[in-house]
Amino acid sequence: MTTIPIEVTVNGRSRSLQVAPQHTLLDVLRDDLALTGAKECCLVGECGACTVIVDGSTVDSCLMLGVEADGAVVTTIEGLATGGRLTPIQEAFLDEGGVQCGFCIPGQVISAHALLQASAHPSIAEIEEGMAGNLCRCGCYQQITEAILATAEAGRR
Amino acid sequence: MIGRVGASPQRVGGRGRVTGLQHYVADIRLPDILHAKLVTLDCARARIVSIDTSAAERVPGVRLVMTAADLPQPVPRFGPQFQDRPVLAVGETKYHGEPVAAVAADSRDAADEAARLVKVEYEELPAVFTIEGALDPAAPLVQDAAQRPGDNLAATNVLREHLVGWGDVEATQADLVIEHTYEFPMVTHFAIEPHAFMAAPDGDGIAVWSSIQHPNWLQKVLADILGLPLAKVRVHAPDPGGAFGGKQHAKYEPLVALMARRADRPVRLVLTLEETFQAARRASAKIRVRTGFQSDGTFAFQDIAADYLIGAYADIADRVVGKGSYPGCGPYRVPAARITARSILSNTTPSTAFRGFGAPQVNWAVESNIDAGALALGIDRLELRLLNLARLGEAFIPFDTPADGQWEQVVHRAAELIGWGTPLPAGRGRGIAVGIKSGPTTGLSYATVRLLADGSVIVFAGTSDMGQGARTILAQIASDELGAPLDWVTVVMGDTAVVPYDQQTSASRSTVLMGNAVLDACRDIQSKVRAMAARLEGIDPSEIAVEHGVVRLPGREVPIVDVLKPGLGPLGGELIGNGEMRKEGDPGHPLGGSVAFFEFNCTAIEAEVDRETGDIMLVRHVTVSDVGKALNPLQVRMQDEGAAVMGLGHTLMEHYIFDGSGRIRNLGAIDYRIPTSMDLPLELLSDMVENEDGPGPYGSKGMSEGALLCVSAAVAGAVHEATGTVIRDLPLTPERVWRSLQEGGNG
Amino acid sequence: MRSFAYSRPATLAQAFKTLESGGSDCRLLAGGTDLIIRLRDGSLQPTIVVDVKRIPELRPVIREEAGRLTIGATTVMSEIAADERVRRHFVALAEAAAVVGAVQIRNRATLGGNICNASPAADTAPALLVYGAQVVAIGSAGSRRIPIRDFFVRSGETTLRRGELVMAIELPLPTQRTGSVHLRRTRRRGHDLASVTLACLVDAAGVTRLAFGSVGPRPVLAVDSSGVLADDAADDDAKGVVLEELFATASPSAGSMRASPEYRRAMLRVLGRRAVGIALDRLAGGGAPG
Repeated sequence: MTTIPIEVTVNGRSRSLQVAPQHTLLDVLRDDLALTGAKECCLVGECGACTVIVDGSTVDSCLMLGVEADGAVVTTIEGLATGGRLTPIQEAFLDEGGVQCGFCIPGQVISAHALLQASAHPSIAEIEEGMAGNLCRCGCYQQITEAILATAEAGRR
Repeated sequence: MIGRVGASPQRVGGRGRVTGLQHYVADIRLPDILHAKLVTLDCARARIVSIDTSAAERVPGVRLVMTAADLPQPVPRFGPQFQDRPVLAVGETKYHGEPVAAVAADSRDAADEAARLVKVEYEELPAVFTIEGALDPAAPLVQDAAQRPGDNLAATNVLREHLVGWGDVEATQADLVIEHTYEFPMVTHFAIEPHAFMAAPDGDGIAVWSSIQHPNWLQKVLADILGLPLAKVRVHAPDPGGAFGGKQHAKYEPLVALMARRADRPVRLVLTLEETFQAARRASAKIRVRTGFQSDGTFAFQDIAADYLIGAYADIADRVVGKGSYPGCGPYRVPAARITARSILSNTTPSTAFRGFGAPQVNWAVESNIDAGALALGIDRLELRLLNLARLGEAFIPFDTPADGQWEQVVHRAAELIGWGTPLPAGRGRGIAVGIKSGPTTGLSYATVRLLADGSVIVFAGTSDMGQGARTILAQIASDELGAPLDWVTVVMGDTAVVPYDQQTSASRSTVLMGNAVLDACRDIQSKVRAMAARLEGIDPSEIAVEHGVVRLPGREVPIVDVLKPGLGPLGGELIGNGEMRKEGDPGHPLGGSVAFFEFNCTAIEAEVDRETGDIMLVRHVTVSDVGKALNPLQVRMQDEGAAVMGLGHTLMEHYIFDGSGRIRNLGAIDYRIPTSMDLPLELLSDMVENEDGPGPYGSKGMSEGALLCVSAAVAGAVHEATGTVIRDLPLTPERVWRSLQEGGNG
Repeated sequence: MRSFAYSRPATLAQAFKTLESGGSDCRLLAGGTDLIIRLRDGSLQPTIVVDVKRIPELRPVIREEAGRLTIGATTVMSEIAADERVRRHFVALAEAAAVVGAVQIRNRATLGGNICNASPAADTAPALLVYGAQVVAIGSAGSRRIPIRDFFVRSGETTLRRGELVMAIELPLPTQRTGSVHLRRTRRRGHDLASVTLACLVDAAGVTRLAFGSVGPRPVLAVDSSGVLADDAADDDAKGVVLEELFATASPSAGSMRASPEYRRAMLRVLGRRAVGIALDRLAGGGAPG
């Protein structure tokens, strides 16, 4: 199997990898880098369980080839908390009850994190629209919105 | 911080979820793993003529290609009710997605390629995939009569008929009779975690990882199929990423276990989302309801005929039909009742347990029919329900557990929150509905609790925490009873080699059954602490009480840990408590046992309809449940609101779409729509009634299914009030609402 | 996914060379939000996937020059939806770009990819049609401009020649006041593929342009020069007659899972009427979105 060399920065760490062209960024993260936070679910860019940040924007990593990440800066859920300390949005998810089974949560937290970076005080409508690409079958949407609002509010003070 | 029962501490296990560090089955990496891929046919039903695996076997990295011929003969069959499902299709595939072969390879790419190269020669056969089709006398049989020996229905596609009733419906006089037929769609669980399975030889036994809800049940199935003693079958059950009933019973674990044994290497199979739609679903149903009313609104009788379309193999579907339809008359005083329910086999995905367990289907029909009666009688829909609602202690199902809650409080609260009776803006409507669901009828949970020398605690409980928060409330119970801060309590679940027996996680039972078992184990430890304190103090144990983490001595009280340390002495050690909660069955009972508790919910909706497009705008969605005692109020709210959102799924947008020959057209996430964050009602409000009148710890009851039960009827009621149109078929898609308005559908 | 070779040309010349030798075994990769789905389900099995994102001439850019707004082929939807010039002059395009999938999709899906994929339901197509966009195509023989109304043939097929790439999409800046809007029908409020997607533009001269997609093999532009639709004084019945004529070319397929032909036709009328109303309001409001 031919592989292509890529250089990619993942969670602040520079990595040199040999990647098969048909492997997605999701495959590379999970299988080559053992970063299993991003999840496999729909694999058609609908559910957002695979959401990561590439060059500052959230993307469905199942719809990006690994080779396309050459030269990119990638942040996954594992890269948010540092030194064991949760970010405010992660704490808020726990405090507001935004977490049930947890399978969609890495994607949700990444999307919420990115949303707040782009818009420090989003309205409920903006949150619901900004988070629509992250499905939650446990139905935590209301609590996730509250977690985002609480984090924005705390940032305001 | 002591995790007081009744508080809402952060979810135990939550940290692993928000950091992405928690491992679900698909995240676990075993060395030397083989990746498996299923081979299925693109049709609903086919006779397998031949399978040529030679090209697949030649793919580099492929280690194993299995068909039915490679399995022990006769091919093992399994299933919780009937052992009808073969490990791989034998001679015929009976539903779109039934696997005919499986490959295992060193890499996923090789497995995918090999699966594509397995050449199956097959002859497509006519399939039945509707109730009418399955009941047609000329219909092909889904299951061979030989698979159903001694069954007088074996020459039909009716698997079982259930009949429950009391009084004499025919002889009961009624001033008004309303009769309609309602339909409930075929929907699937769509847990965000697709089913995942691994198996690995483990010494002279086997180790299996599965997203299973019932690890002990799975252990027994595998022990039977593999011919191993239970002690040599180790089931690891990491927290499932959502299950909702779809992961209760064995699906592909037997196949993966047999493959691991054959290959003598670990084997991993993770389903695609599309494959999960083909692996598990809810039974669809067609329900004819004939309700007799007196002119003052009291119910005279309910005559319900419910046909449920189940899949090609029974799984637990017939139990769903029997148990789900059983309380079909609802939480009301009904003088005479007749409920007939049939499980009808079809060449479709095996239906299985799904939140609500057969009750949402009947609820949709019966509550809608009650609305129709209220309309005809000119009686307010809320008043009519309150008039007939069973009160605490009433034997509303004559030979079963009486009404076990002050349900009218729930209804009043929901009515208050929706503003029932207050003026409505033009173009809006309100609906209100109630639902009950039976809790478990039998059960058995063991728990072991270890109080370690420093006062920290380990709880061993076999419940599956699939998001409902079982781990948290069990930790709260131990924390509260033994006085350990919540972050000093570890809960161990999901390993049959380590955790004692739990029958299952289903029917919202775990708060009551496992909760009581853990409480029992804590009480066991408390009695040992009491004996310890008596010895240390030189007084009689009768002078000492131990409760809520405290030892009450004459004249003073001390935390448990202050007795524990001196009590254990220089050798150290720990105290071990065992607990058990058992609910025995009753062979004479139609359900095999009386109900441990009921889940009761009232849902009220205010909605607006865009008459030109058929869009329903949910202005306010209220859901109130009777929970006894909220051990963790935030988790109760999360479960109820989550169930409400799930109920909106089948109410507004979810359904399988078939082509003319029974093939599923909308596999996957693009054309099977579930609610997103943008599909929430403008306001979603939940509340709870707590009267501490449940059989669980501190008066709690089971909950988490109730808020899904009556969403559809409440929404349809609101749509009717807003537009005058009645729809008896779900989902209420914009197109269906539009069509009903176009056709002037008012019954 | 089946394997393939991956090529990432750094120049147009390299791209043309690869495309020429690879022929029909090549597939172009921009955002990947359509292509990767089809690679995974096997409906496309190219030998070579050619990633066009490093070619300078195709790079993501939105620039105003010589009376037009030029959008580079690999500009993503989220940028288009947020761009202040697009929102001011071409609001229907901003509105369409804002509903292509969810945020994660919009951060990758490109305008060039959306039109080259040529789905009848492509959300940007109706807006591009009413704004009279031009597709700047480039091949080894040079570049040419293709009016957008001549670009779509049927699902998956455009009038691009073999070996041609889309370099940019140009939108002529309006020279008079206009009002425009994009509307669509979906099965839920959350992100979805459209069962009807429609854009409307009314100009100060009283010409109404309606473009619609997902009701036939390709997106279609219809123009009302009679002035009836743009006339506040005209009654609903009169407008209804004109709309019926404009929608006469709609031919929704009977086999769709998303919506029946009757519903699509009915929604076309409903959305058409609503879109005309909103466009007129916006025209009256000074030609800027509300």
